[in-house]
Amino acid sequence: MVPVLLDIITTAAILYIVSSGLLLVFGVMKLINFAHGGLLTIGGYAAVIATALGLNPWIGIPLAAVFGGIVGFGMERVVVRSLYNRPLDAILATWGLSIIIGQAITLVFDRGVHFAEPPIRGVISILGEPYSTYRLVLTALALLLGLGLTAALRGTSLGLSTRAVIMNEDLARGLGINSGLVRSITFTLGSGLAAVAGALITPLSSVDPNMGVAWLISAFMLVLVSGSSLYSLAFASVVLGGAQVIVSNYFGSVLGGMTIAALAAVILRIRPQGFSYE
Amino acid sequence: MTEAVLTVNGLSSGYGQATVIRNLDLQIASGEIVAVVGKNGMGKSTLLKSIMGYLPKFSGSVAMAQHPIGDSRPHEIARLGVAYVPQEKALFQDLTVEENIRLSLRGSVSWNDAKETMGRCFPFLLRRLQQKAGTLSGGEQKMLLMARSLAVEAKVLLIDEITEGLQPSIISNLVKIIKTERDRSGLGVLLVEQNIPFTRAVSDRYVLLDKGEISGSGNTRDPDTHEKIAAHISL
Amino acid sequence: MSDANVKELGSSSIQRLQVRPLTKVVFAASIVLIGVGAAPFFMDAYSVNVLVRSMIYAAMALSVDILWGYLGVLTFGQSAFFAAGAYATALVFTYGGFSPEYAFAAVLIGMAVAVALAGLVAFLAFWHGASALYASVITLVLPIVVTQLLFSGGTYTGSSSGLTGFDTIPLSTEAWFWAVGVWLVVLTTGAWMYTRSDAGRLLIAIRENEQRCKYLGLNTSKIKALVFLICAAIGAIAGWIYANYTMVVAPEIAGFTFGTELLIWVALGGRGTLFGPVIGTIIIDYASAHLQGDFPFVWKLVIGIVFVSVIVALPRGILPLVSNAANWLRGRTRKAQPEQYSQLQLCKAPRIERNIVVAGPALVVSGVEKRFGSLEVLSGIDFEATYGEIVSLVGPNGAGKTTLMTCIADGSKRSGGTISIGGQDIAHRPPEECVRLGVGRKFQMANVFDTLTVGECLQIARARLDPLSKWKKSGVCQLPPSALHVVRATGLHSDLDVPAQLLSHGKKQALELAMVLALEPKVILLDEPTAGLTKTERTLIGTILTELATTEQLCILLVEHDLDFVRDISSRVIVLHQGRIVLNGSVDEVVNSELVKTVYAGSGH
Repeated sequence: MVPVLLDIITTAAILYIVSSGLLLVFGVMKLINFAHGGLLTIGGYAAVIATALGLNPWIGIPLAAVFGGIVGFGMERVVVRSLYNRPLDAILATWGLSIIIGQAITLVFDRGVHFAEPPIRGVISILGEPYSTYRLVLTALALLLGLGLTAALRGTSLGLSTRAVIMNEDLARGLGINSGLVRSITFTLGSGLAAVAGALITPLSSVDPNMGVAWLISAFMLVLVSGSSLYSLAFASVVLGGAQVIVSNYFGSVLGGMTIAALAAVILRIRPQGFSYE
Repeated sequence: MTEAVLTVNGLSSGYGQATVIRNLDLQIASGEIVAVVGKNGMGKSTLLKSIMGYLPKFSGSVAMAQHPIGDSRPHEIARLGVAYVPQEKALFQDLTVEENIRLSLRGSVSWNDAKETMGRCFPFLLRRLQQKAGTLSGGEQKMLLMARSLAVEAKVLLIDEITEGLQPSIISNLVKIIKTERDRSGLGVLLVEQNIPFTRAVSDRYVLLDKGEISGSGNTRDPDTHEKIAAHISL
Repeated sequence: MSDANVKELGSSSIQRLQVRPLTKVVFAASIVLIGVGAAPFFMDAYSVNVLVRSMIYAAMALSVDILWGYLGVLTFGQSAFFAAGAYATALVFTYGGFSPEYAFAAVLIGMAVAVALAGLVAFLAFWHGASALYASVITLVLPIVVTQLLFSGGTYTGSSSGLTGFDTIPLSTEAWFWAVGVWLVVLTTGAWMYTRSDAGRLLIAIRENEQRCKYLGLNTSKIKALVFLICAAIGAIAGWIYANYTMVVAPEIAGFTFGTELLIWVALGGRGTLFGPVIGTIIIDYASAHLQGDFPFVWKLVIGIVFVSVIVALPRGILPLVSNAANWLRGRTRKAQPEQYSQLQLCKAPRIERNIVVAGPALVVSGVEKRFGSLEVLSGIDFEATYGEIVSLVGPNGAGKTTLMTCIADGSKRSGGTISIGGQDIAHRPPEECVRLGVGRKFQMANVFDTLTVGECLQIARARLDPLSKWKKSGVCQLPPSALHVVRATGLHSDLDVPAQLLSHGKKQALELAMVLALEPKVILLDEPTAGLTKTERTLIGTILTELATTEQLCILLVEHDLDFVRDISSRVIVLHQGRIVLNGSVDEVVNSELVKTVYAGSGH
């Protein structure tokens, strides 16, 4: 029982880390960034680079943030900006960007699988059961990330402007808020977060040019179910991540792999606004 | 009272292909309060939205003092000193009173200045700073709206039917505050109204809007004001 | 009311024009078929081999284009249907061995599975209230689920390595080339004729404005589901051919990545052009096969960059660009001619026997309420209206006028009370069924199909009563006298070939009115029909409405802000204020009411 519970908690935490950047972009821009998977992959390779350079594995994380942020900033400027009124086209264009990222990575590295040095190894004993220390560290990081994002949105003037743009963009503009700038910053931040998530999950999954795709689908489903609230994202991560762990345990990991997508589709059918309380 | 803070020259605008405002001229002097009166659907709100940059201007020009703002975007126009009070969805319901006010502050206006304005005009708000705007009563929300637009120390104030659904006592309070603030800072005010008593009490001048065009105007102190406006807006 | 002038339109050319497009199509298809027949003799074996696969993919792209380019359903999941056909074939041949009967059974099983899956998707994606984004999400979930199911089949489905080594239809590569080529040409020609037909225009109408289609009495969910099922079946057949030809199936063919690749091909070729996606897919897949060997990753990178650029800068894809360039070149030698056979003949519809009792009230609204959460928008609305009456709903902004209209036209919208049309309770019927009961609704902003021509808009409006041809342009549109009258009085009959988006605002409003009248309604709801119109146009609309009420005995309910207009044409006025009826009386009563003055002038004098 204890390992399953721990699996549920840590899986939820990992999903939360992976999805928060996508949620931020979706909340502010009402736009689904299918390049999220590609940005995640960039983060994974940042960790690989850190390992290759013989740096402390923790360095991979800020490195990922920088890479992801720069690429995200550029994508918003060049491509995404002109698609704000064409949400379905934006999905396709960002998916195309994801392909470009994947192929560029393949050209620089190769098609093969790489490994990054995990920042923490080993297991820790919880109620007599050994459990991966790193997964527990990730859970703590997810909590920190959630608290940090919430604090940034609540406590800073940029955060306040961002929330205003999420709630009512026209009104925000009328009060002198440059919503274009807010979007640009948000997209950059969301991209940075995606890359950080990619670096953080490297010890759990191998690094290859397509590593982001599977995560993208899960993150996408979680965001659709959560609307634009960080709280509902936490809730959705626990519910859907929990369901995935349980299905994987009792019906095999193959069926577990489709749990999040299938469950999200059903939830959205019954309640189009998902877990958000509006 | 002579220099125009807002000049609208031959403005035509509307939604998509439909022209709602047709070739409209209007000037607001510093310290002047002008009311645009007309029935529903005659383009009153459209006029304000066009000035504010939400709608494309098909032709004509709009200028702040001497500075043309024709193609500027809403946030740029706001930063030039235009405060806009929309008729609907004008507050962030899920944000607190304080956050609603803080959002609009820029440049030289500090939070302390804003608190001073609130204390002068709507002191009750200072006791409710942490309350969510959506939990205020209808009348209180309108006062918060006014407080927000006065706090930014704008040069021009655009107000869209603030009196809708308000009690007479609150309306007369608003009249007093708008006039006092105008006297204090030389603010120019353009308001869009259907409420005759409010229009008469607050404004210096009125123009009648009919199907996007100005069909008449007058000095509010003229004795026939009530009749002229009433004839214009009722059946 | 002579129809002579209307009938004349285009009638001289109708004979010649109806034959021509069909001949052209057959001619063009034959030339391509000859090309297909000759091609293997001029190409090396490798190219022929690759092109068979490219043509199978092109058929897939064609089905995606019908869904995305015409119907507006962005689907990521067409790959799942392909896999259904391919795996059905592989499983049947692996476990049953090859025989012609089994091959036939395999295609049927594949199609059955694909259609069943598509039915489930359609149920989730297209039924009441689901958004376009949700539909896309479901088509994205589908390949994921199917892929995982294939994995979970273990050794039975070959799991991640798939199935190989089964015997299939024994044909040479050249024979496959001819078979697939003919199939693709037939499929493309069929799709081309369908999308150019009257019924094909309906797909575009649904993409452009599904709400308007519903309010024209068309069950759009059903139409979308049907097209989706047919495309799923095409996908399954393509999969069946693929498995027979390549003798290999792997889970990747079911995947989201393949589903998205199909979208990329369609987008590059030109969505909504049919030929673009077909030609584009063949070129890209063929080029990939040749270039991937030499520049494996650079090639995909180039495709990615081109794809993003096309989405951003050329949303309609590359084919329209090519054809525009061709037209431009031709334009230098020959003046561009308007498409000839698009001309349309308007004629008077045979009068339907109205089985209504003209004596009873046309519209009865009793105790209607509408709440949004705790906010009460309408409460205790009671009124009746009879045939031949023009009733105006007036009141300040936010009084609930448009909400009341919505409640009458869509049975699922009100929170309480009953509404009946011509004696029949609308219960909780959706808009398309309310139309059947006799409600016609005109929206506030002119709500027509922007890229369709005026004639096509009118035909779509008649689709409920006169079924549309599925393979050609009928060239005829039957309209009831009321709609004909509007068309003629406003001069729309000379704009039948003009796309609706090019009409003036006033003509758009008139077109929508004519479309609503084409439904032969008993009760029409008009939301601000004069908004944004000039004085002359207002007067014209006013006259038309008065005539309709008297000659056609229509019951007209009107929301209007222009009170002069209300005064001129109404037989009765209902004043709404804060969700309640404050007055229901004659024009004079309302004009002289102190209460109404207070409502309009603001409280407290």
